[in-house]
This record gives sequence, structure tokens and C-alpha cells, in this order.
Amino acid sequence: MTQAEIIDALLAFIALPDASDAEFEAMALKVFAYQFRNNEPYKRFCLQRGRTPLSVRRWRDIPAVPITAFKDLTLSCSPPEAAERVFMTSGTTQGIRGRSYHPTLAVWSRSMLVNFRERFMRGRERIRMGILFPDEAALPNSSLACYLSLARRECGTSDSEVFIGSSGLDLDGLLSALEQAEKSGEPYALLGASYSFAPVLDALAATGRRFALPEGSLILDTGGFKGQSRELGLDEFYDGLSLALGVPRSSCINMYGMTELSSQLYDDGNAICPSVKSGPHWIRSRVVDPLTGTDLPEGERGVIVHHDLAHFNCVSAILTEDAGEIVPGGFRLLGRVDGEASKGCSVAVAEFLAAARG
Amino acid sequence: MIEYAGHLPGLNREALRWREVSYSAWGESATIALPELDEAQAAALCDHVRSNARARLKRMDTARIVAAIDAAIARLLDREHPLRRKAEHLLPIITGYDRETVRLGLTSYLKTFRRPQLLRFLAEDFANPAMLDGFQPTPKGGYLRAHGPELLLHVWAGNVPALSLWSLICGLLVKAGTIGKLASAEPLTAGWFAGLIAEIDPELGECLAITWWKGGEAPAEPIFLRAADTVMAYGGNDTLTALRAKLPITTRFLPHGHKIGFGVVAREALDSRRAPALARLAAHDAARYEQQGCYSPQMLFVERGGRVSPAEFARHVAQELAALAHRHPRRTLSPAESASITAWRSAQEMGALKGAAELLGEPTDSWSVAHVETPEDLSPTGLNRTLKLVSVDSLDEIPALVAPYRNFLQTAGIAAAPERLFQLAEQFAEVGVTRIAPFGRMAAPEAGWHHDGRFSLLDLVTLTEIEHGAEAAAEGFAPYVD
Repeated sequence: MTQAEIIDALLAFIALPDASDAEFEAMALKVFAYQFRNNEPYKRFCLQRGRTPLSVRRWRDIPAVPITAFKDLTLSCSPPEAAERVFMTSGTTQGIRGRSYHPTLAVWSRSMLVNFRERFMRGRERIRMGILFPDEAALPNSSLACYLSLARRECGTSDSEVFIGSSGLDLDGLLSALEQAEKSGEPYALLGASYSFAPVLDALAATGRRFALPEGSLILDTGGFKGQSRELGLDEFYDGLSLALGVPRSSCINMYGMTELSSQLYDDGNAICPSVKSGPHWIRSRVVDPLTGTDLPEGERGVIVHHDLAHFNCVSAILTEDAGEIVPGGFRLLGRVDGEASKGCSVAVAEFLAAARG
Repeated sequence: MIEYAGHLPGLNREALRWREVSYSAWGESATIALPELDEAQAAALCDHVRSNARARLKRMDTARIVAAIDAAIARLLDREHPLRRKAEHLLPIITGYDRETVRLGLTSYLKTFRRPQLLRFLAEDFANPAMLDGFQPTPKGGYLRAHGPELLLHVWAGNVPALSLWSLICGLLVKAGTIGKLASAEPLTAGWFAGLIAEIDPELGECLAITWWKGGEAPAEPIFLRAADTVMAYGGNDTLTALRAKLPITTRFLPHGHKIGFGVVAREALDSRRAPALARLAAHDAARYEQQGCYSPQMLFVERGGRVSPAEFARHVAQELAALAHRHPRRTLSPAESASITAWRSAQEMGALKGAAELLGEPTDSWSVAHVETPEDLSPTGLNRTLKLVSVDSLDEIPALVAPYRNFLQTAGIAAAPERLFQLAEQFAEVGVTRIAPFGRMAAPEAGWHHDGRFSLLDLVTLTEIEHGAEAAAEGFAPYVD
């Protein structure tokens, strides 16, 4: 298949109301064959694992690349210099950032919007948005900035605003927008990186200020705290949001996305944590034993593997560094799989790196 | 059956709170009860040990202490002794290491503490060990007397069986009243040893206690930390930093942080006769206690130009690890340990895609060997039998590859001809390596080892000096003065 053909096939696949296992399998094998043929490092990776499009008959057997590979290798089926957009991870290891190359954002955008409308907008056409993250002009390589800009453009009302700019958080602007929203009676949506909410919560707690946003208001957070703010427990975080903004925890939605993917996964609110997350029909998630790569039974803790067909230009199957368990309706995210400090007195990688960074 | 950990002279077992912890491995499980002292009990224990040390231990001759330790070790070396049997039964369940590893490891380690070896410990640190018993003349004139602390606190970490005995015995040799804090990963041996000492020499048994508390949380912790004159602590740098911050400035703090070991194979060691034997020893060093020791090798630097190439040597090592996996199966790993290995293997695999590395062993094997042809800096592996071999053109390249990690360096295993051994040792000493060992003995330091380049006994003591002039002046006040 050519690039144009695979793009067409994927846009059509995304447009399906849903897809059966067999349809997903067939599409996954097509995408795998495309990536095997056009992505040289991935091909070598697969050969090293003894897997080729001829031997792989099930989507679960498609080799999943560890996400660190996005830092070490150029994983792209088209010339990377011709990419319309390159998304880079925020975290760096020794100054290297993981990269995803997008020759076109057509598939990425379609995947984002169809899924966002279904899981966040829930049938509503537009909603007034407040965004706690810089926009894509400020952060052109951030997939989250692109995501939020697209959400605002396509699903936000014209008076939607971004409250994080070059001078940081515009707290006064945010507070007055929240006040207006509270008075207007129209639902309001506040979206941003999880860590962007922490200073807002702190500021509100410090002044004792609370809002009661109109019914139907929503919150979307994503990405965790990443050392950018103080770490909050999930319950503490959603209780805090609910208390400060008057949005019930069931309307606080967490989006789980990664630079190394083109689709996002959502939960249906955080009344109970950890919530159950799931993606649209063009992404499937597995939980595996990290050492052997074999699927673990439902309810057993392992490492999450995603197969995101929309990520057609790089590698669709990735082995994350997130711990999780499969449950009915999706998976539960159980934090990061951190390598353990040694049980003895030898230095383990984590400690060594921490010390090397100073 | 519940095994009670610790040794708590002066306290009544029934009056204490015990925390039961379960361990399981090799299809068996064990429950260990760890003592949890309240503040009053902790204070009473500190008083008991300190006053007994002052009244009894300080007046004992070193020879008596050596004899008691030697007798206790003899019992632990006796494979028919009930305690030794208990150790062979329980330690594999607690630590997860296989029975043979524990049995062989215990024997070779305990041999380090028999009477002749204990005398070596003393001789290693003191020109005249008699200064532990009384003032001794010094070469410059005058006299010296060495005193151990009245209350020495050990904070142990890690799951290498019986590792705690090293510092515990060093403390006793300098007549320190001793309180040891068990590591929950191996909470038994220190208490057993203390119990044996108490049985052999009851007076000495009153001068040492072994207990446990949850680090950073227990109400008793500040009592112990304030009471000790000297604290010897093992653990990761974060743990040690936190501990140091809680100690009074007048307390002597002797930390042993986590370390990394590595090996060096010179080209003269690489021919068809020597290479397989050497690979066996290197594999043994890596498999011993699953690379959990500070002395365990994680990386081997292999010199090109021998009859066996570094790549071939990597295959020999892989083969030996595969063979060892049958005789000494790897313990069951926690998910986080598996994740460490996976992350390390992925990184090697990515390197291999760029043509720079070769990864031997399947993910399902209980060992992994990576081999790279271009020199790279020392770095930790995924542990639990993951070893990296790095080819170098000349041994002279190695000091620069390890130098950036000075603060983590400790043991280097070296296989090279004598002249090069000394040359390299000179360079390694400069960048912070503190121990050079032969392959096969990396995980078994000799008696009297200067752990992390420090003195085992000398660091513990305070010297009192009678100046020559003081002695001369005293003559003037003698009743027999003319």
C-alpha cells in the first residue's frame, strides 16, 4: 500500500461506527505490513524478534516497540524531514526527546476529534473552554498543545480562552472567566495538563474561593504531575477539583495520551479511582508480562501495550512504561513501571541516573 | 511456626509488640516476627546496652571477645547445629536465593570470622591491637589507648544473607556496646548470631541488642538515633541522606552507600585455555546473590588482541550463565525487578538495531549478556544476572570510562598479568576504585577488607594519647622522686 492508500483506508476505518475483532485484525495486519516495509529500524527490530508480515497472523503478535525506542531511533515510514509536524516528548533522558513524525495531521486530527466528541463532548456541538496549557503556536512540537488547540477550534465556543501564556498562568483571567461562567448558567469546560491544575487549586484554597460551575460543566486533565507541581494523589486531586469548582468527580475526565501515539484514551469520569480507561475502535490495549511479552489474564498487574492504528507513520504497537491491569470495559492505569532499586547494596539504574543528573 | 527476630536483653518478649511479616519462595513460606519497640522500651534497651558495655565489655580483654565470636562462628559453620540448619532452611525462603547459593555462600562468608581471621582484622587496622586493652607505647614517644563507642548503632540494608555480621563483629572487636537494626529483607542472621554470643559468653550477650523498626516512621527511631555515639549505616544515598539529617552533629556517621562493581579482562587472559575458565568465574561473580552486592560486577571491559575476541568471550560468559541457571536457579523476581531487566534489555536491543550491540539470551532466560564493540562509560545493568561486556583496544582506556562515577566505584575484578595489574590498579586507585579482586572472588571479600576504602575498626575508635611530656612531668610528682 502507498501512503495515500493507507491514509484513505485509516480514515475510512475511523469513520466506521465500530469495528469487530476481525476488522481490527485485518486493518492491523495491513498497517503492520506497511510499517515493516517502510520503516527500516522497525523492520530490523521485527526480524530480530523473528516476526515478519508473513509469520504474523494475529494483531497480538505484532512486535511492540519499547517507547524508549522513539528516543534512540528515527521511526518513520516517510522521510522525517518532510514531516508536516514532529511531536516530541516533554521528558528527556540525557537531553534526548522521543519523536513522532507525522507526514500529515489528517489521520491524527480525525482520530482526536471523533474520539474527543464521543468521550468528552458527549453529543454536545460546542462548549465554552478554558485551557490551562500553552497553545500550539507557543509549543509547536507538543502533541498536547495541538490536541487542546484542535479541541478549542472545533469544539469550543468563540469566547473560549487559553490561560497559560509566556508569562505563565493568568490566574485573574481564569477567575473572571469562572465567575462569568458561574453567573451565565452555561456549562463550562476546563482543560489542561494535570499539573496545571495544582497551582489553581492552591490559589483557590489559599483565598478560600470556591466556584459552583453550572450543571454540565466538565474538566479534562491529562498527563499526571511529572514533577512540574507537587504530586497529588488521585482522590486528593479530584476531590480538590470537585470542591473548588463545583464539578462532580464523575464529570472530571482524565485523558491518557502519549506523544508516541496518535489516539487518546479516556475514562468516563473519576467518581472512583483508578478509573477504567478505554480507547476508540482503532486502538487496542493489552497488559503483558514485561519480560516475556505474553498477555496477562484480566485483573493481573503488568505493563500496558497499545496498538494504535492511527499511528501509521511510525510504529503502531508500543510497549509503554505504564503499569496496568485489564478489567471489563478497558484497563486500569496503575502508575508507572519504575525499575526497582536493588534489594541489596549494588547501584541500580534509577539511582545511578538520578545521581548523574545531580 | 513463627520465627522471632532480634536479640533484646533486658526486655521481656511477652511485653513487646511484634509485627509479623510473611515471606515465600521455592514453594515454601515463613512468618517472621519483627520487634516493634515503643519509646520507653527503646530507651530502656539503649540504657541496658550502654551501661553493660560500660561496666563489662570495656573491661574485657579483646582475646575473650575474639574467642566468643570464634565459638559462635564455629557453631554456625557446623552443618549439624540446629541454628545452621534453621539458617539453611529459612534464608532461602526469606531472601529467595536458592538453597545451594545460601549454603555455599554462608560457609565461605562465615570462614572470614574465625579466630585467625579476626586477628587479621585487628592487625590490619592497629599497629598494636593491644591498645584496645590498655595504653601502649608509640614510636614517637608517649602512649595510645583506643576506645570503641559506648553505643554503636548499625542500620543494615539489603538481602544478602548474613551481611550484617561484618559490621556487627567489627563493633564487638572494638568493644562497642551494640544495637543493630535489622533489614526486613534479611532479618534473621544478626539476631541468631547475637543469641549464640549470649549463650557462649552471657556477659557479652548483655552488651549487644538486635532490633527493628520501620525506618523514618517508628516512634522509637529518634530514641535510637539520639542515643548512639556512632552510627554505621547501609543503604541508597537517599536513605542515608535522610538518616544523616536526623543525627546530632556530635554523632559519628559512617555511611556505606550503594556501589557498582566491574571487571577487566586483559588480552593475555584471553586464549582458548584461559578464557572459558575465566568466563566461568565471571559468571559466578555475577550470579552470586543475583548482583545485589556492592561488589557484584555489572559490566566487564574486555581487551581486544587476545586469541579469543571480546565477542567470543561474551559467548563464553553467556554459556556459563546458562549453565549456572540450572545449578543455581534465579530467584523469583518482583514485577519492578522484571521491569528493570526489561528496560535494560530494550535499551541493549535498540543499540543492537543501530549495529552497536549484541544481546545474548532470550527474554525468558534467567540471564542476559550484552556485548558492545565501541567503548562506553560504566553503567548499571538490570541486575539479577544481566551483564554487559564492552570491548576496548587497550586497558588504558578503562580508567576514563569509569572515572565519571567515582562516587559509586568500589570493586574491580581484574584478570591481567602482574605488571599490568599494578599499572591498572594505580590508575583505578586514582579514580576511586577501592578494592581489586580476582574473578571468582569479587563477591567474597577477604577478612580485614577495607570496605569502601575505609578502616573497619579504626574508623570506629577514638584514641586517647598520653603525651611523652605528660609522662615525664608525672615523674616529678612521684613519691620516689629524688
